[in-house]
Amino acid sequence: MAKKRKHIELQNSEPMKKDESNPQRTKRTLLGWKDKAKVKESDSPVFRNKEKVLVTCSRRINYRYRHLMLNVVSLLPHCKKDNKVESKEGKGATLNELVELKNCSSCLFFECRKQKDLYLWMAKSPNGPSVKFIVNAVHTMEELKLTGNHLNGSRPILTFSTNFDEDPQWKLLKEIITQIFGTPKDHRKVKPYPDHVFVFSIIDDHIWFRNYQISVPHNETDKVDRGGLDKMTLVEVGPRFCLNPIKIFGGSFGGPILYENPFYVSPNQIRALEKKQKAGKYAKKIKAKTRRKMHELSNPLEPNEFTDMWKE
Amino acid sequence: MGVLKKELTSLNKDTLEEDNMGDVNDEASQSELESESEEGEDVMLTEPSKNSIYNSNGLLEKLGDISWPENVEWIHKLSIDISQEQEVDVNDDLARELAFYTQALEGTRQAFEKLQSLGLPFLRPSDYYAEMVKTDTHMVKVKGRLLAEKKNIEEAEERRKAREAKKISKEVQAQKLKERAKQKKEEIESVKKWRKQRQQSGFTGGDKGDEMSLPFEDGKGFERSNKRRPGVAPGDRSGGKARQGGGKGKKGTENKRKSRDYKDSKFGFGGRKGQRKQNTADTTNDLRGISKSSFSGNKKRKR
Repeated sequence: MAKKRKHIELQNSEPMKKDESNPQRTKRTLLGWKDKAKVKESDSPVFRNKEKVLVTCSRRINYRYRHLMLNVVSLLPHCKKDNKVESKEGKGATLNELVELKNCSSCLFFECRKQKDLYLWMAKSPNGPSVKFIVNAVHTMEELKLTGNHLNGSRPILTFSTNFDEDPQWKLLKEIITQIFGTPKDHRKVKPYPDHVFVFSIIDDHIWFRNYQISVPHNETDKVDRGGLDKMTLVEVGPRFCLNPIKIFGGSFGGPILYENPFYVSPNQIRALEKKQKAGKYAKKIKAKTRRKMHELSNPLEPNEFTDMWKE
Repeated sequence: MGVLKKELTSLNKDTLEEDNMGDVNDEASQSELESESEEGEDVMLTEPSKNSIYNSNGLLEKLGDISWPENVEWIHKLSIDISQEQEVDVNDDLARELAFYTQALEGTRQAFEKLQSLGLPFLRPSDYYAEMVKTDTHMVKVKGRLLAEKKNIEEAEERRKAREAKKISKEVQAQKLKERAKQKKEEIESVKKWRKQRQQSGFTGGDKGDEMSLPFEDGKGFERSNKRRPGVAPGDRSGGKARQGGGKGKKGTENKRKSRDYKDSKFGFGGRKGQRKQNTADTTNDLRGISKSSFSGNKKRKR
């Protein structure tokens, strides 16, 4: 399939072509001159993770969500940040084109509506599935209570809770998240030491994200002492957010709906309900008054024997 | 292309539907945790939830499409699965964060063990300096805040301790007063007893002195404690206020000391102004008490 070819480098085809064009000359490669005899074909294609993520947002985005987007950009060294996308109509087409243009394989689109609600789209290009989430409980890295710090561009350790393996939609989400948030090993901006850990866990059908810095006392670079692992501490670094999946689509930013969250209530509906509850207050009060009056009329009190005691 | 357009219109319709639900002006702020308000809605939604699409085959098919090949080494993915032992209540913040923390801790332990077995360097050397994700200025702010918090806590502790100490010291003071009163009473009693005994024994002195060991004859009677009692000497016409600048600052006492010394040398004891004449022949010509740098005079007086 077209998808897989991007990831897997087939070295089989390359030496064949060179043989046809220059049969006499030794092969010149980036690593130096190679004799034809030395060229051997690898047994299996080497897997190269060439994931590139395009990160954009919509216009009229809130300051808090913009900072969240910038934090995410700093967490993923394999991402490309692009300008704001202005699109009312044809949002899917614009974004798909953009992703193709920038030669990226996935996209994170932060869409902010009414300057209040943030929706996050995760999509795999060109015809991969896409997910729409609503984002709650946003805390950015600039908050002074989150005191940790880690190398810019280091690869994270991803931890998932096991309830990601229970249902197919969670499995799909887990795969998408691993590919988007997992930094490729051979990227040019990657630092060699993994010193932070991402936590994705599902509680109450929401995906919670946390980012911690790992601090473990050590002397050498490639092994930890026996007691060192026990003395490991984690300090929270990074942004915090909570994702609630709304829909999973078969195509990128569109396509057949594969999954709908049955418990999702849109924030507009929530706000409308709250207003309705408030709206009936006065009417309810009037009703209660008339009800009381009717009740009093229908059940008259017995005359009190002491009412006339102090009358003249 | 036509198919794509149809899919897009269905998507647009979805979003339009969501917009038309609510009114335009919202004054109610959206709750941070949507789950809180959702819990009230769950009951309402058991009906519409039956209409939601759940295409598990499609999901699994897409999963097969996008996933990496099976034999990919773990080093590319760096992902660990940790099981959550117990159900965590979403609204209990502390338990939830604790669950995340333990998941992360367990995950890193396992990951480090795996990395160690692979033999690659994975721990940062102490001399590796590189750009961090938060700037140095930001970390300085974080440090400042932590220090300020610590200081506040310490101050609160100190204040509490001072309050308690004050309470205790009041009790101790009361105790001491009681003891002193008791002591005084005892002494007076013993004097009375001695007098009575002397009376009874007919005022003979000397031979029977050894029989009685009286508490006030131990020789310690007239000892006084070295504590300075608040009180004023009878001849002090300033009412004790002449020496009160002691607590206000060292400079004040220094100046007062100086003028005290001058006045002492000039007048003797300084405070007993009433007993002496102020304007005599000697004092008119005596300029020791007047210093050029003293500003403690009447400021309105023209100099």
